[in-house]
Amino acid sequence: MIKLFGVSKSYGPEAPTLDGLSLEIEKGEFVWLTGPSGAGKSTLLKLLFCAEAPTSGQIIVGGRNVARLGQSGVPLLRRSIGVVFQDFKLLPNRTVLENVGFALEVLGFSDREIEERSIRRLDQVGLRHKARSLPQKLSGGEQQRVAIARALVNEPKIVLADEPTGNLDHGLTDSIIELLFDANARGTTVVVATHDHALLSRHARRTIALQAGRVVSDV
Amino acid sequence: MIGHVAWRLFRRALVNLWRAPMPSLVAVLTIAIALFLGAAFVAALDAAQLLLRGWGAEASITLYLAPDATEAQAGALVDELRREGTLEVVYVTRDEALSRLRQELGDLGSTLDGLARNPLPPSIELRPRARLSVDALRALAARLSKLPNVAEVDYGREWLDRLEQLARALRAAGLGATLLVLGAAILVVANTIRLAVYARRDEIEIMKLVGATDGYVRLPFLLEGALQGMAGAGLAVLALLGVEKWLLPQAAAAFSFAAGVAGPVLHAPEAMALVAFGAAVGLVGSWLSVARFLRT
Repeated sequence: MIKLFGVSKSYGPEAPTLDGLSLEIEKGEFVWLTGPSGAGKSTLLKLLFCAEAPTSGQIIVGGRNVARLGQSGVPLLRRSIGVVFQDFKLLPNRTVLENVGFALEVLGFSDREIEERSIRRLDQVGLRHKARSLPQKLSGGEQQRVAIARALVNEPKIVLADEPTGNLDHGLTDSIIELLFDANARGTTVVVATHDHALLSRHARRTIALQAGRVVSDV
Repeated sequence: MIGHVAWRLFRRALVNLWRAPMPSLVAVLTIAIALFLGAAFVAALDAAQLLLRGWGAEASITLYLAPDATEAQAGALVDELRREGTLEVVYVTRDEALSRLRQELGDLGSTLDGLARNPLPPSIELRPRARLSVDALRALAARLSKLPNVAEVDYGREWLDRLEQLARALRAAGLGATLLVLGAAILVVANTIRLAVYARRDEIEIMKLVGATDGYVRLPFLLEGALQGMAGAGLAVLALLGVEKWLLPQAAAAFSFAAGVAGPVLHAPEAMALVAFGAAVGLVGSWLSVARFLRT
C-alpha cells in the first residue's frame, strides 16, 4: 500500500529531516510511527499525503508514484487518504455535521447523501447528538473524534494520524485509538505517529521507530 | 452532480459575501464608481464628438473663382453645383464682394473708393444641405478644387483641424482615465478577495487536504468577485440612468450651445454589457488573488 525507496527530505543546508528512508507498509496494516521530536515522523506523513515533496527518492502510495502525480493527481490521491491532526483542524464556523461532510462536498455528493453518510460516521464515533453543535462547544476528545469521523467519512484506503492523542488526557486517548483500530479492522491501512510509549505498550502493533530521519527499528 | 456542486459553490459564495459585508461593500462601491465614471466618460465623449461633428458640418465652403473667369463661366459653374442638389449655392459677384468688404470695414470703407479696379474675385458660397463628417467635407472640398475656373477653396481647414485635435485629445484622455479607474477597481477587488482568501485559509487548507482541486477551491472566490462586479455594475447602471433622466435634461436647458445634439441614452444591451463587464472586472481581480494564493 505504501512504499518508500531511499527517501530524503531537506529544508536547508542542515542535516536532512529524512535521510534515505526505505520502508514498506502492507494493505490493511496498522503501524505506529514513533521517535523523539524532530525524528521526522510528521515530515514522513506530509510526504505521504503530498503536503511536501521529497528531496530525493521514490514514494509509492496506493500503487501511484507520488513524484509523477502532477498538479491534478494530488487531489485524487488525497481522496483516498484520511488525515487526522493533533490540533484537529476543524472549521470553527461550521457545525460538527458540516465539518464531517466537508470531505464529501469536495467529492460532489448531494446534500442528502452528505448528511446521511456524515450522521452515520458521527454515530460510529458516538457524537450523533452533537451534529448541530459548533466545534468550540465540544471537548478536546470530542473534537478529535469529529476529526476522525471526517477522515473516515469517504471510506479512504489509508488513514494517517499525526499525534492524534497529543492534546488529550489518558482517559480519552484509548477511546480515540479504538476508533482507528475499528477503521483498521474494516480494512483501512492506518499509520499513527506518536511519541507516547505508554500507548505503544498498551496496544502492541508493528512499530517503526525513527531517529534523526532514519529508521532505527521496525518490529 | 455538476448541477448540485455548482449550486453549492454559488450558495457558498453568497454566504461568504454575507459573512464579510464590509469588504464586499467597499469592492462593490469601487467598481460602481469606476464603471460609472468610465461609462459616463465614454458617453460624454460620444456627445462631444457629435457636437464637434455638428460644428464641422456647419462650416461653409467658399470657392474663389479665377480673376479672369467670365460671368458666363461663373453662371455655368453655379448651375452645375445647383444641379447636384446637395448644396445650397450662393453666387457672390465681384461687386457684391466689394460691397460686403466696404460694409465690414465700416468707416474705413471709403478707402476702397480710391481703387482703380475691383481686386476681389467672384466667389461661390456653398453650404451642405445634410450634416457632413469632417472627412466628407474634406473630400468635397478636394473635388470642388478640381472644377474649372476655381482658383481656391476655403472650408475652414485650420478650424476643422483644431476640432479634430481636440477630439483626439478627448479620446486619449478618456481612454487613459477609464483604464486608470478600471485598474483601480481590479486592484480593490483583488485586495478584497485576498483578504477573504486569507480569512479562509484554514478552510482552503482543509479543502485541499480532503482532495479539492485548485479549481474547486478557486470557484467560490471567482463567483464572489463576479457577483461583486455585477452588483457594482448594477449600481453604475442605476446611477447612469439617474443622470440620463434627471441631470441631462437640466444640463441641456442650461447649455444652449448643445441644443440639437441628442444626449446619450443607456439602452438595455449597453446596460447588460456593462454588467457583464463588471463581472469580468470582478473575475479578473479575484483570479489574480486566488492564483497567487494557490501558488504559495
